[in-house]
Amino acid sequence: MNIRLKLAAIFLPLGLIIAAVPENTTKVYKLTAAQLLVEVQEGAQFMSTDEIADMVVQKDPSFQLIDVRAQDEFEKFHLPNAINIPLTDILAEDWADVLDQDVKMNVFYSNGNLKANEAWMITRQLGFANNYVMQGGLNHWAETIMDPKSPASTSPDDEIAKYDFRKGASMALGGGAVSTTKSNSDSSPKPEIKKKKKKKRAAGGC
Amino acid sequence: MGPLVVNEIISPDTNLFLAFLIGIGFGFVLESSGFSSSRKLAGMFYGYDTTVLKVFFTAAITALLGMLFFSLFGWVDLSLIYINPTFLHSAIVGGVIMGAGFIMGGFCPGTAFCAISIGKLDALAFIGGLFLGIVAFTEGYPLFEELYKAEFMGTPTINEFLGLSRGLFSFGLIAAAFGMFWVGDWAEKKFPREEY
Amino acid sequence: MNEVKKTKYWNPYIGGVMLGLVLLSANFISGRGLGASGALKSVIVSTVNTVAPDHAENAAFYKNYNETHENPMKSWLVFQVFGVLVGGFLSGTFAKRLKFKVEHSPKISSKRRLVFALIGGAFFGFGSQLGRGCTSGSALSGMAVLSLGGFITMACIFGTAFGLAYFFRKNWI
Repeated sequence: MNIRLKLAAIFLPLGLIIAAVPENTTKVYKLTAAQLLVEVQEGAQFMSTDEIADMVVQKDPSFQLIDVRAQDEFEKFHLPNAINIPLTDILAEDWADVLDQDVKMNVFYSNGNLKANEAWMITRQLGFANNYVMQGGLNHWAETIMDPKSPASTSPDDEIAKYDFRKGASMALGGGAVSTTKSNSDSSPKPEIKKKKKKKRAAGGC
Repeated sequence: MGPLVVNEIISPDTNLFLAFLIGIGFGFVLESSGFSSSRKLAGMFYGYDTTVLKVFFTAAITALLGMLFFSLFGWVDLSLIYINPTFLHSAIVGGVIMGAGFIMGGFCPGTAFCAISIGKLDALAFIGGLFLGIVAFTEGYPLFEELYKAEFMGTPTINEFLGLSRGLFSFGLIAAAFGMFWVGDWAEKKFPREEY
Repeated sequence: MNEVKKTKYWNPYIGGVMLGLVLLSANFISGRGLGASGALKSVIVSTVNTVAPDHAENAAFYKNYNETHENPMKSWLVFQVFGVLVGGFLSGTFAKRLKFKVEHSPKISSKRRLVFALIGGAFFGFGSQLGRGCTSGSALSGMAVLSLGGFITMACIFGTAFGLAYFFRKNWI
């Protein structure tokens, strides 16, 4: 019977300690130049076009594409559901809510890698998390997703599977690839969301 | 240091093996606490047996305190721990449906597995039902997709949502839990039942 | 504990602390909480993959699941649930509780109990998928990491069960 009281006598003081001490914030976002250098070398900010196409097709609500090119370029062409934050505006207060948050993952893209990577470096230096870069930019996107090269028939299976995926994604996104072979991936998949944060947080849940 | 698998102190395969050991611990504790009995589980909702309430909340505050102290000592990086994402609508609707299932079936999935391991046939029927329910969801997925994905809020923690510090909220939760235990003990005295 | 009861079960507070330690070790080792329903989903997906591969390729849910998971059976939860079966069995053996029986209130028949268990299971299975986790996966594990969703799910599960308890009292009391 008195176990409850004994337990309370242990837990409540422990709770008070926890309430009183400041939270351990050894893991702050803001980086030193040296840490940033390590991250740049690792290239962990890059996401492949395949990964991004997958999320666009799945309409993953947990990510946001950000076009860092100038506004006129954005108006000519942009990826589905992307928003436009030109690199020159990256520090504007209006965008701080978008860039500095931990709800969605942002993926920067430009024509190539350069501008997007610059945007990432600036935001990362400021200590913002959850920002990523589309590897190769729109040029690479066009090559791999909109107009994937058919692999040789002798290619290993995973090459062919990759091609099939890309073609499926391309068609789902209204790309130029016209199906010549029978493909069963033409129904646009609308699957369940999986959190695929590049942060290596453990996966879980039922 | 922790979580071990994320920081690559143990390999993914070791992680799976440890999952098995953790499962053994989970099953053993559930069974030993009486969670293999559906009448004991359902007893909480009628006040005659509040074991579930006590075990559930004691476990939650123990784990919570442990995590916070581990974090304080720098043993575990809380930012690498999986936090269940919050999808407001599906959490509410799913929770309501599960609640109805709980009072009808008398188990939840974890306790059903535990009960079947000691030969409770009603748990077998419950698990059969689980299969039907999950298949109904996976097969009819396009119908529920919109609800399933509505109101995505990221992975907020409740203390952020309420604007409290983690420690303060935890202390409040612990105090509330002991308050509930007190009510539970009172209810058990008021509606006594024999043990089965 | 009450004098009327001669319980063979652990004291609930001891059980709770032990369960908390199990959950803590899961978080410390694997960075995630406990669960159950996800393992059944893995079984279902891998069954569909084997029995009806065409269907698995076309139906949206399986298609996505297979894209994001390498092998549905090689998942943390599947191993954990096997452990639960073994652990429950061990505990039942030590406490001499191993026995095939249908547990139900003396006021109802075994058949009624089984039918309700089946229906309840179906509800729970469906709800656990919609709510992204069951009592252990979402409510308990979620609470331990202070997840807002975990608290909401927990409140909804127990709130609804309390609310409906009156209508099903004959099954239990």
